[in-house]
Amino acid sequence: MDESTKRLLQRLMRRIQTQMLRTTLDKWGRLTGEQLRSMDFTLSKWALTEKLLAICEENELAVKHITELEMICESDVIDNPSQGMWYAFQLMDPEGTYYDAHSVELTQFKEQFKSHLRELIRHVSVKIKKHTDEAVWIRIAWGDTFSRPNHMKPTYVVHYLQTPYVFVTSLTSKQKPLLSQALVLSTRYQAIKDANLSGRKLTAIRDLLMRQYHQVFPTRYPAPIAENDQTVSNQHIEREQAEPAANRLQAACEAFGGGVLPQLQSAVYKLETKFRDHSNKTMTEREEPFKCVVKFASTNLLESLRHCASSGIASTPVTPLLSSIPLKGKNYFVITDNGPGPSSQMRQPQN
Amino acid sequence: MSLLKPFSKLPGLCTANILLVESEEQFQQSLADALMEETAVTVNVRLAKNLPLPMKNEESRPRIDLVVFIINLTSELSFQSAEASLKYLDPGYFLGKVCFIVTNARNASVPTERLDAVRKLAASLHCPLLFAEDQTPDGVTNATERLLTILKVAAGLVPMTTALYLSNLTRCTVPPDIDQPSFD
Repeated sequence: MDESTKRLLQRLMRRIQTQMLRTTLDKWGRLTGEQLRSMDFTLSKWALTEKLLAICEENELAVKHITELEMICESDVIDNPSQGMWYAFQLMDPEGTYYDAHSVELTQFKEQFKSHLRELIRHVSVKIKKHTDEAVWIRIAWGDTFSRPNHMKPTYVVHYLQTPYVFVTSLTSKQKPLLSQALVLSTRYQAIKDANLSGRKLTAIRDLLMRQYHQVFPTRYPAPIAENDQTVSNQHIEREQAEPAANRLQAACEAFGGGVLPQLQSAVYKLETKFRDHSNKTMTEREEPFKCVVKFASTNLLESLRHCASSGIASTPVTPLLSSIPLKGKNYFVITDNGPGPSSQMRQPQN
Repeated sequence: MSLLKPFSKLPGLCTANILLVESEEQFQQSLADALMEETAVTVNVRLAKNLPLPMKNEESRPRIDLVVFIINLTSELSFQSAEASLKYLDPGYFLGKVCFIVTNARNASVPTERLDAVRKLAASLHCPLLFAEDQTPDGVTNATERLLTILKVAAGLVPMTTALYLSNLTRCTVPPDIDQPSFD
């Protein structure tokens, strides 16, 4: 095992929690039963790392095996956001009939993706794996004409086959066109665009985009909302304004969803509208738009916005500027004077 | 204007009715649960976010003996909401049937002007001002005991004592140098 492979394994071991280590190594399956039993999981992480390095040397494992282990960790084991930000992309204009693009199946996609990417850039290492929940995980280590693939900075791509959604992390602006082309060609769509949604947790942005959280629809006769945490247990306690409170809660849940909401960390609004304030003539007379960026940040943004609406801080019905976040599945908006309400445009590629 | 009137309904036997008004609707719930522990007197608690109260509850609402405004000092909105609600009380309430409770007074981020403003408000209305700690059960119990003392008097359940008499003893006063800058 060469130095870079050792470093990769050491870095990986630093990120796995000791209690998850045994199950992870089991899933990996590259250690024999006897080797697994010989590892004493009560030792310190450093000692375990040394032991694992020794076993890998013994089994003559190479970089590609270590990257398998890394993929297992990223997709199954490590739940907390380790990769930084995930960005969502959407594939546009399916080729042919509806069925052509939606019937791309796994082996076909794998072969096509690998061959297209290898055509575009020679030194690249690609690993594709399908998960139980229909997600295809792709790990790409990029190299260039002169150097071998760099496994310390891989890009992870997650694609749900029958949907036009792709989630990417750790991608530089140079690598982006290559990845986009490979994806578009192998999925039989014609273009790919930025979905203007980003977050630290993959599950959260996936659930938001694919609407996999509890949705509340407007009804004429709403049933009492079960998770009203201010239920009055005692007949001697009475809430005077229970009905307006219930209406606010219903409006808030209709706008943002009921139950547990996907965890978004921020929402950014880029304003390019004209300055409007009658008391300030100099600014209002300017022709060019007043550029301003408003950012909302929180540990769980949708939950805070829903609470603002249900407690009356934000008036109901909820303004379309806020309710577009779950409705359109975006958290980056550019607002211009042209249309009513927020209009979104293509974002410039970052870094 | 739908004013809440203190004496337009008949009182109940051995009953005390209290109205807790709080913009955030948090502390009032724990106070209400703690008030239920009282066994000597039947306590009925009404919770509201602000005044005026909805008209449709007018019939079923009992006579309110004590109106308590809960102000969270860390929020300007809380203070403004309480101030705005004061206009919907009949002046008869200010003869000892209104009380102010303030939370988070020890919080470092609270501007001193806000506490001074609350003090001046309570003093101008001749009402008592209580400081409460709402995060621990002990703090809640403490606040409940003090509230019950005032409530029993306001409901007329304590012989030889009226709400007006008690309010003369307990009302908030501002020190004469309240507008001088303080040393931090």
